[in-house]
Amino acid sequence: MNAIVSIARTTFAEAIRRKVLFIIFLIGVTFLAVAPGLNVLSARQERTVLVGFTLGVIQLTSALIAIVLTVYLIPNEIERRTIYTILCKPVRRWQFFVGKYLGAVTALGVMMAAMTVLLIIVFALQQGTRDPAQLAPLAKGPLMFFFQMSLLAAVAMCLSAMVQPILNFFLTGGIYLVGTLFGTIFETFQENRGVHPVTKAISQLVMSILPNFGKFNVQNPLINPNQQIGNESMYYIGTALYGVVYIIILLLIGILVFERKEV
Amino acid sequence: MKKSRSSIVAAVIGLFVVQAGLGLALQPIWAKNYMPKQKGVAAGLNPDQLLAALAGFREMVAGILWVRADSFFENGNYDAILPIIRIVTLLDPHQLDVYATGMWHIGYNFTDLQQRSDRRYLPSAIALGSEGAKNNPDTYEMFFETGWIWHHKIEDGYDRAVKWWDEANTKKDILPARRNLLASAYIRNGQIEKAMDYYAGLLAEANKRVADKTDTDPMSSSMRDTIERNLDNHMIRMSQRGWMAKTKGHGPIPYDTEPPFDVGFSVKVTVTDAKKLEFEGTWNVLPVGTRIRVILRDADYPHAIAGGVDWDGDAESVNLDPPTNTTYMQDQLYVRNRRFTKKIDMSADPTMYPFNKDKYLLEFYYSPRNAPPHIQDKFSWDGQGLTDKNFLNTEIRPGVRVIYTSFEISRDEILRRGEWADKAPVRMTSNFKKQGLNAIGSDVINSESLRSSTSAPKPAPTGPPPGMVPPSRPSGPVAPGSN
Repeated sequence: MNAIVSIARTTFAEAIRRKVLFIIFLIGVTFLAVAPGLNVLSARQERTVLVGFTLGVIQLTSALIAIVLTVYLIPNEIERRTIYTILCKPVRRWQFFVGKYLGAVTALGVMMAAMTVLLIIVFALQQGTRDPAQLAPLAKGPLMFFFQMSLLAAVAMCLSAMVQPILNFFLTGGIYLVGTLFGTIFETFQENRGVHPVTKAISQLVMSILPNFGKFNVQNPLINPNQQIGNESMYYIGTALYGVVYIIILLLIGILVFERKEV
Repeated sequence: MKKSRSSIVAAVIGLFVVQAGLGLALQPIWAKNYMPKQKGVAAGLNPDQLLAALAGFREMVAGILWVRADSFFENGNYDAILPIIRIVTLLDPHQLDVYATGMWHIGYNFTDLQQRSDRRYLPSAIALGSEGAKNNPDTYEMFFETGWIWHHKIEDGYDRAVKWWDEANTKKDILPARRNLLASAYIRNGQIEKAMDYYAGLLAEANKRVADKTDTDPMSSSMRDTIERNLDNHMIRMSQRGWMAKTKGHGPIPYDTEPPFDVGFSVKVTVTDAKKLEFEGTWNVLPVGTRIRVILRDADYPHAIAGGVDWDGDAESVNLDPPTNTTYMQDQLYVRNRRFTKKIDMSADPTMYPFNKDKYLLEFYYSPRNAPPHIQDKFSWDGQGLTDKNFLNTEIRPGVRVIYTSFEISRDEILRRGEWADKAPVRMTSNFKKQGLNAIGSDVINSESLRSSTSAPKPAPTGPPPGMVPPSRPSGPVAPGSN
């Protein structure tokens, strides 16, 4: 356990010092800071546009950070040969793999938390409110995004044990895009009577296998607060559990591959 | 090591099953509350908007598009708003404002130069409302708005208004003032006693709110008074209009609705020019407030019923391009001093009135259900106090005595082509008698009470009370071109 924590701590320290991540983070923060300027585009829709835009910025920035951070984690260690100095100590490969992942996710979480705080400050300033009952729910979106991005990081980690970083970058990005959109496509197939039952069955199979990132996109009720959602907490818990289970699956697959990988 | 690997593979397979089960269990909740309706969205967005929507900014794109629609409203560019409404509601199916405004816009704002709305859009307005209600089932708003279209715009099929408002009433967030309207829908739907019971229930609740010391709403007291006044009025009307006596099985008592009054409807329609119609006719009711519905439509208009259309018939999906080959015109003839005249010009709106079919139907329809209270005091809600020697109809709206007649008219006649190029086609009821402006003295509106003149029992059931003109020769519609 100590080995995992040590590796995670080192990975976290490295991650927050990486310039490329810091630049992505800064771009995200800049967009968040200028978000109230979108007022000129949004007469009578200020709240919708502000919350929609800021949550979108957090999601996009976090996705970029998650992918860029994790696709290079293992390959960099191999390329710089630092992995040998670690693995020659009493550290198992799986401990190294999990420690790396946890360190990356912690760094991701810290950056997302910072952006969430900024989102709440920007919203409070623009809407002129300090009411915690209005401000606190805004954090629900980024919280679910955190699970989403942790899952995305796990996809990238798993693939990083198998493919080159550049290929991994596009592969992970593609899986993210498909995983975000497939829920809607699946529903369209299910609702449409004209779709062939075989197509429906295949979509059901894909739906069962593919990580469904769309499930974590819960920003709509935050943007339209007049919505009444039944069992919201249960949905959040269920979705978080889904994310954690999928992350464990991906890490286990990654470990299986990494154990046999020649380094 | 081999054993350990097998255990991990087994664990992965087991966890895969768990995540698949979890994912599929969560899917319906996600689809109901969080999913965009992306069918057709891609077709309506610019590439940059589509990219932004896919990148997690769909609500923002929807918001900005809706702001753009605002400028189209100001410029009167109503056609441009339609696709925006569709895209915004697909991108963000929980924007109630867009659904509600979109419904109103589609239902009311597409008009001809004489401000008659294009009712061919009504199925789309209803479908948009239904979709909004389906996507937002926990709030009353779209249920209320859809009911409002039936109650206020369509003014027919009140059972649909009752259905939607009944559903709206089950939502926790419905405003108290809006709950009152359900009683109005009950009344127009002929559920008179149910309206009374409903008012009584509302009053009991309002009394409870007023008595509740913790209730801080300053409107509670005035709301209670309003409900009480409405209930009182309704009960007085039930009594004076003979409803209570009728339902309790009492004999013929000279209530305000007895004897039935003959409205003496007659009409003459002249096609003065291509797509221009002139109406004149009689209606022996002196008090102001009578509106007779006039319809000119394709003889085979989809889902047409006598005196209207079953607008639910085509309201399955939102179709923002109504069939451009159909014609449907509906207007009101306002009665003043027992007669009406109106000129309807459809020649400047070929898109709204294409007249592509060969045969058309001209309909005249009057229902006491839509009449103002001072006229209902004589006719009652179901027309017990209403009759007409020629055009009383008790079949087209079961349970209601309405006035109805219709004429067939051909495309050539409406367009003044062929043999009608030099001859004005005319349709008229055989009891029509030309009345000049001075037939009753002047064009000043006289307002005389129907009730005061009929309160005493009359020996003859159709005898006209003082101030009312006896109907002309009895007969039905006259054959085409008889003028």
